[in-house]
Amino acid sequence: MAVIKTRDLTYTYPGATKASIKDVSITIEKGEFVVLTGPSGCGKTTLCRCFNGLIPLFYGGKLEGEVVVAGCKVVEHSIYELARHVGLVFQNPENQLFALSVEKDVAFGLENLAVSRDEMRKRVDWALQITGIEDLSERSPHELSGGQQQRVAIACVLAMQPDVMILDEPTSFLDPVGAQKIFEVINELNKELGITVILVEHRLDLASKYANHVIVMDEGKVVLDGEPRGVFNSEKARLIGVGVPKATRLYQILGENGIRLGRVPVTSEEAASLLREVLKRD
Amino acid sequence: MSMFEGFRFRRVSSVIHRLDPRVKFFFVCVLFVTAILFSKLPPLILLFFVPLPFVLAAGVQREWIRSMRGALFFAVIIFLFNFVFTYFSTQYPQLPSASLLERSLAMTLRFLVLVESFSVFFLTTSPDHLGLALEQSHVPYEFCFAFTTAVRFVPVLADEAQTIMDAQKARGLELERGNFLKRVRNYIPILIPLIVGAIRRSLELAEAMESRAWGASEKRTNLYVLKLKNADYLLAFGSVLMLIFAVYVWRYVPVPTLITLLRL
Repeated sequence: MAVIKTRDLTYTYPGATKASIKDVSITIEKGEFVVLTGPSGCGKTTLCRCFNGLIPLFYGGKLEGEVVVAGCKVVEHSIYELARHVGLVFQNPENQLFALSVEKDVAFGLENLAVSRDEMRKRVDWALQITGIEDLSERSPHELSGGQQQRVAIACVLAMQPDVMILDEPTSFLDPVGAQKIFEVINELNKELGITVILVEHRLDLASKYANHVIVMDEGKVVLDGEPRGVFNSEKARLIGVGVPKATRLYQILGENGIRLGRVPVTSEEAASLLREVLKRD
Repeated sequence: MSMFEGFRFRRVSSVIHRLDPRVKFFFVCVLFVTAILFSKLPPLILLFFVPLPFVLAAGVQREWIRSMRGALFFAVIIFLFNFVFTYFSTQYPQLPSASLLERSLAMTLRFLVLVESFSVFFLTTSPDHLGLALEQSHVPYEFCFAFTTAVRFVPVLADEAQTIMDAQKARGLELERGNFLKRVRNYIPILIPLIVGAIRRSLELAEAMESRAWGASEKRTNLYVLKLKNADYLLAFGSVLMLIFAVYVWRYVPVPTLITLLRL
């Protein structure tokens, strides 16, 4: 069942002459782990904003085509109605935490939805536990590291129990270890809780092993859409300047030199085991 | 930045910190009213000592002394104004009398009591608690939210200001150069990026708020709730008693000045 479906989606920001996204038609199934990638300024963030109603309600501008999220036509609903279905985690963790303690921040969305206090307590503790930050519940966001802050931001959205979670470059302010942890948390949400994940990311080396659907955008258009191995292995992805995983790139270089691996690897572990097979055979 | 240190609330817990902020505020108001009622020195001296046990119990002596030291400058001005102006307008050719000295001292002490009681309140109430108290006193939520968010972002903006200052200094900006006016003008290249950054930040904040169902329901709920405990009732009761006693003394008992007391 499709949880997000767009048809010929075109959007122009107010005051802009050129459309930021053009004729985007994609379908995202329930439970998928989608990696959305492409060069900077290609419209990834704009597309994410279309999924929870920030576009067109918050930004204004001109929206054509159709977006349906969790059965709701986006243009016919307010942002807070969509917030029950779609959670959005932003790039800068600092600017999405506004309470004086972690706990209170996680509860913010639930308070807005007027959830009862007992239920709220349960859900807050649950979200803190899944993201592994129970011990930070009393701390102030300012005292936390970037990675911890981003996990709090994820917990904030998770507590609202959305069907879809969109993470817009959640690791760009983090070091590789922090990023790795965030990816593991996101993967758990997807695999254990069945939440559909849309991850906007440049660091494909780390992120792509979790994905089962990759969408590549360029200049406002979707240029590649499909399962990861096929997308990463295509010539087009490399030419656009997508950071194709090094394992996949290695596969291609070996191929050019006449060495065929069994299948397209995405992670270095995969590449290593495939190489081992080849070496043994020789 | 030391300038912002005062705004940074340290999370401490004590009997006093745990008191309900509404009751604490009521107590401070009673102190305030009592200080206004009396203009003689002896009751004001007594009043000065009333908040001291709270300071000690909360363990905020050092911060308290710092805030009192800050008030000292104004206290000296108030004393001089009272003393000099009254002296020249009433007793001028003669030497100033002891009662004039006492009256000026009383005015100064009254000011110190006011500062003292408010500093005790703010030193022992977390902004979190204060926001909650505002909310439960039916202040519109937008204001409470603006208040707690402002407190939340003070250290963030302080860090940002420091970064901008370093960046501008690295480009050759000299902050400590020239006369007073020049120095003030030196800060313009710091202020503009700071303000622009803050506006950008507020846009991102607004986006994050919208995405988390801001404004979804008329009557929002709250994770915490303030409940009056025994200690709160005790303080409230004590404050009422004190108020009644103060009004009674003010109305019916002739309060002696320190000079007449000493003469006895």
